[in-house]
Amino acid sequence: MLVVVVALVVALFLVAPILIVVPMSFSTAISFQFPPPGYWLGYYVRYFTGTEWLEPTLNSVVIALGATGLTMALVVPASFGYVRFRFRGKSFVNLLIMAPLVVPHVVSALAYYGFLARLRLNGTHLGVIVAHGVLAVPLAFLVITATLKGFDRNLERAAMSSGAGPLATFFHVTLPVLRPGMLVGALFAFLSSFNEAVVALFIAGRGAATLPKKMYESIRLESDPVIAVVSTLLVTTVAIGVLVSVLARGRESGAA
Amino acid sequence: MGAAYLKLTGLVKSYDGRTNAVDGIDLDVARGEFVTLLGPSGSGKTTTLMMIAGFEEPTRGSIELDGEDLGRRKPYERNIGVVFQSYALFPHMTVAKNVAFPLRMRRFPAARQASRVREILDLVELGSFADKYPRELSGGQQQRVALARGLVFNPDVLLLDEPLGALDKSLREQMQVELKRIHREVGVTMLYVTHDQTEAMTMSDRIAVFNGGALEQVAPPLEVYHRPRTRFVGEFIGDSNFFSGRRDGERPGLVLLDGIGAHRVARAAWDEIAGSTVDVLIRPERIQLAGEGDEARLPNRVSMKVGVIVNYGDSVLVIGETDGHPLRMRIAGAQPDAIREGATVTVGWGPADAHLIRRD
Amino acid sequence: MAGGVTATAALPRAAARRRARRGAATPWLLVAPSCLVLIVLFLTPIGYVLLLSVTDPNVSLGHYVRIVTVPLYSRVMVNTFLTSLIVTGLCLVLGFPVAYVMARRRGWITTLLVTIVAMSFWTGFLVRTYAWLVILGNKGPVAAAYAALGLGSPPRLLFTSFSSTLGMTHILLPYMILALYAVMKKIDPSYLKAAASLGARPGAAFRSVFLPLSLPGVVNGCLLVFVVCLGFFVTPVLLGTPRDMMISQLINQQIEELLAWGFASAVAVVLLAATGILLTIYNRFAGLDRLWG
Repeated sequence: MLVVVVALVVALFLVAPILIVVPMSFSTAISFQFPPPGYWLGYYVRYFTGTEWLEPTLNSVVIALGATGLTMALVVPASFGYVRFRFRGKSFVNLLIMAPLVVPHVVSALAYYGFLARLRLNGTHLGVIVAHGVLAVPLAFLVITATLKGFDRNLERAAMSSGAGPLATFFHVTLPVLRPGMLVGALFAFLSSFNEAVVALFIAGRGAATLPKKMYESIRLESDPVIAVVSTLLVTTVAIGVLVSVLARGRESGAA
Repeated sequence: MGAAYLKLTGLVKSYDGRTNAVDGIDLDVARGEFVTLLGPSGSGKTTTLMMIAGFEEPTRGSIELDGEDLGRRKPYERNIGVVFQSYALFPHMTVAKNVAFPLRMRRFPAARQASRVREILDLVELGSFADKYPRELSGGQQQRVALARGLVFNPDVLLLDEPLGALDKSLREQMQVELKRIHREVGVTMLYVTHDQTEAMTMSDRIAVFNGGALEQVAPPLEVYHRPRTRFVGEFIGDSNFFSGRRDGERPGLVLLDGIGAHRVARAAWDEIAGSTVDVLIRPERIQLAGEGDEARLPNRVSMKVGVIVNYGDSVLVIGETDGHPLRMRIAGAQPDAIREGATVTVGWGPADAHLIRRD
Repeated sequence: MAGGVTATAALPRAAARRRARRGAATPWLLVAPSCLVLIVLFLTPIGYVLLLSVTDPNVSLGHYVRIVTVPLYSRVMVNTFLTSLIVTGLCLVLGFPVAYVMARRRGWITTLLVTIVAMSFWTGFLVRTYAWLVILGNKGPVAAAYAALGLGSPPRLLFTSFSSTLGMTHILLPYMILALYAVMKKIDPSYLKAAASLGARPGAAFRSVFLPLSLPGVVNGCLLVFVVCLGFFVTPVLLGTPRDMMISQLINQQIEELLAWGFASAVAVVLLAATGILLTIYNRFAGLDRLWG
């Protein structure tokens, strides 16, 4: 029983600081003051009406989508090749694909800064998309290879003996069955880009500043209270996503 | 048996180029026959099945169906149905969609698809489950759906790879009867892979016994049971007592069993075995308690020291030994008074109860 | 006869080899794009950092010598190492009970914990770092509580190694919990029942059965947290103090304030090497892909 109490206290330690941003977002204070001296919606108005925050938000979404596309284009074929075949150099391929996960982000950030400068890609969407896309490869690879390993290849055999050719088998059976795993992989890639701060800080410049970069700068340089609004919106989005998935899983296990 | 419908000739499969998983299989299957490929795991029976289905390419040998070489034909060009142990039902499709899949791939008109699906689901008694998803069904029901999907397009041959392996015992027995009924009703040629001898015995027209990638014997169930061609077959199927011995060239009808002595066997069997060293199989149910006056009926007798007694209700299995040689005896009905643990009893069997297998 | 056998055997073997070769092209075609992109767009930039560390401004190992010999920099290394150890230890102590309850219980408590852990896992570092700035700030709830209790103003909390350590612990705790939970939920509860039936009291069953079986999760979680912590950037920079710098702060400072690319690169290489050594050791014993699984 004691352990449950301890667990709940730790959980409170996890969640309370995150929730504190919600009242902060409605605060009238111009600096980071808690409890708030009064409440209003002024900073929400500021977030939604100016380009100062909306632009980084949009940048983040565009970059995360682009990075996800790049990641998936690389990872989906690679996962099939990796899981379904035995070939020489397989462990090397695995090491190579996992490399971005092993290298600390601050090192990658430094590396991309110098590298993209030479290509004149610093401060461009393309530069950040490439960096984020590459960094998300290992995560998506882990998720999708796990899905593929769990895939019963007899499903494909059953399809073929039913008269389905290779393409029909892939589109009618393989892809639909793997789709949830692929979506999870894509979601991981998207969020890893969307939440990534360090690399973006180094390479995004003014031109492609992402939301985490803007938040970092607003904390560091100006203490803009709008950051509470952004935080609240992010926390709300995450909370909705998590609740939906927890409820969905609960219903599933309840039905089974 | 009629002309070969499905004909396997010199079939070999090697994955690494050195050892053969399937090592030269010759098998003729008649149209409409139910043939079971029986053997321990790793004996090559599933690999053989996968080659017939077209999922594995034979390293050597040929597969002919109705006189036509299947060699280069892809699985989806073969018109052979497959039922897998894991069922392999498409999880994102309803029962009806699963069963309709082969018809869809063959571009049947929609109306015919629907009526055929209904027909085949009725055959496997799942008519009311058409709109359920596989995960909503029990194991036995999923098995029936897999069967329906394998049968719906009227395949030339239906291959079944341990289809009952994941079911519990009572359900398995029920499905054996079901399968037999469906085989009778549809009349399709079936090749059935299993390592369960009971399944093989109860369902098959013939059993093909696999061992180490090769065929030990292909014969109807009772012949495989009573007249195994090799010691492996005799030991793999059913309970057995094996003695090794020599044929006594001087005295026809006598075999000298190692450590036991001269034993009388049927003269025809003695004549048939040409070599001198033999294995002698005596099924436990052929051994009986021997008394005074039945020397003529049971000329072969030994004294058996009773070790363990297992009561099945309808029969008793007595495990013991004679001269250090393990001996198993199965007696129908209740346990006789003479049989007690630690007791020594005289048991015997007739000349016709011994089956001789030549050893080289 | 024998000659005939070898001839017929040789033919299909050659065919099999041909097939194998044809088959061998397919996996490479599938993995090639990833490998190419990673080599050109990842290894090359990293290689460039290595190169810079010994060539900028001139070819020498001077930067590395400085890292080791100048007390200011070697202190950064030691401080990073110690801070990472502390954060890892705190995460383990705090995370273990949570993971334990999540793995061993059913019902609303587990659902609640899973929800909270997932939520904090997916909430960005910056949101959480910002939250700590508010909490520990001089107009924050801690200060307010001190005032309300009549204790005057609290000791300086923000921009110290305390706030930095606290923030990192808070941010990395979900990683630890998830790593522990992944292993713990696979421990069959019947093991503990078996231990109980063999006479082990709950405490003894926990110590002699559950704990050893959860050890792989402990190793995974600790390594994961430690490695991330070594290279942690945002939180130390925003919550910490330049007086107790961590490696990433040093890199940032060298670039932002001094434009000392060569030296920053050398520091990055040291960080990369430390991480690499730890993960290589782990890889030898467990296989890397298990760490994040």
